[in-house]
Amino acid sequence: MKKNNPEEDSLLIHRAQKGDTGAFNFLMTKYYPRVYASLFAFTKSKEDSEDLAQQTFIKVWKKINSFRGDSAFFTWVYRIAINLAKNHVVSSNYKKDKINISSDAIEMDFASHANPETDLMHSQSLFKVRSFINSLPETLRTAFTLRESDGLSYEEIALITDTPIGTVRSRIFRAREGVLEFISQESTNEK
Amino acid sequence: MKNNDINEKLSALYDGELDEAEINSVLDALSSDESLQKKLSHYALMSSALNINEGNVQPIKPKNRFNSNFWFSNGITAAASVLLTIVFINFDTINFSRLGPDNEAANRLNLAINSKEAKDIASLSEENLVDHVLKVINNPEFMSSNNSDIDLRNVGFNTKGQSNSQYIKGKESFRLRLEKKNLGINKVRYWKHGNKMIYLVPLADGRVLTLYGNLNSKSAIEIAEVIDK
Repeated sequence: MKKNNPEEDSLLIHRAQKGDTGAFNFLMTKYYPRVYASLFAFTKSKEDSEDLAQQTFIKVWKKINSFRGDSAFFTWVYRIAINLAKNHVVSSNYKKDKINISSDAIEMDFASHANPETDLMHSQSLFKVRSFINSLPETLRTAFTLRESDGLSYEEIALITDTPIGTVRSRIFRAREGVLEFISQESTNEK
Repeated sequence: MKNNDINEKLSALYDGELDEAEINSVLDALSSDESLQKKLSHYALMSSALNINEGNVQPIKPKNRFNSNFWFSNGITAAASVLLTIVFINFDTINFSRLGPDNEAANRLNLAINSKEAKDIASLSEENLVDHVLKVINNPEFMSSNNSDIDLRNVGFNTKGQSNSQYIKGKESFRLRLEKKNLGINKVRYWKHGNKMIYLVPLADGRVLTLYGNLNSKSAIEIAEVIDK
């Protein structure tokens, strides 16, 4: 499980707090997929997830000066997103605000939304990506995995692998390039 | 060589590991280099893919839709939401060319975040209300915690139970709760959960009445009127 480092992105956050839209755009692009995925896990609707993700980042932008860094930035963003999602679950299903309701009031579903079929489809392709990562040279795989899966800092990875930080940075970059290349090739091959 | 250098810096910035002195160069390059913008988006998707719990990602049919209403974010992130799911479902649906950035995105960002619509959305907060409803549903004690022996016999409801927390009339039964704060509502809200109803009724004195149980709307109004007097 990737850990969330409160210090991560602190420079970009600080810039965004000063109104730097470039820095905020960077953060938004970085966290959009995770926010979207979290919202989708909650709503099971792509349209709702997109709408809520928009609302989340609008709210993040509006409230970014209240972010104190007590938690990781994503934790803070996630909290905003899920609060909006909870709000959405309640209010979107129950837009009738009049007291003269009919007896066929709308059901509120608080149950789990597990979907075994889609989970299976998902895991099959994810397996390919993970298999490729396992096939990377050990030095790249180790640095990349410690960063992406374990959330370690470059310094921590450098200590663990007894490698200069610059080398860690380079290995992680090369691993990323390799994964993207693999995905691109897979995409081409399947066409 | 130069490309690799900026790409590696982007990777480092993505990890929050770039010195402040180097950030400017990456952000500047990002603002004008579409390939860098794509790469950043791909890094984000990759991270999500590798860290997400299986089951969190669901299939989404790819559509050539750069939603014009997606006014806040840029083209990359709009497409990213689609690509994220496609990557795991079927590689043949990936079309990286669709991840081209919207050149107007940066300008639209500034306009969007200052628009009335954005401000309206941002100020929309029903978090307290949601938390309240979830407590009503999930915590039985919550509905008995501040019941102050309200007499509803003149509308036909008698109390039941040691704490007199449940009111019954024929097939109707419910518990009630009064909030001193208004929870941000100014009109009646209601939900159905299972076979029970939840009514939140704002009272004239600023309090909010919560009714939870097998209760029709007519009875809910009568009860609110009694308590409101």
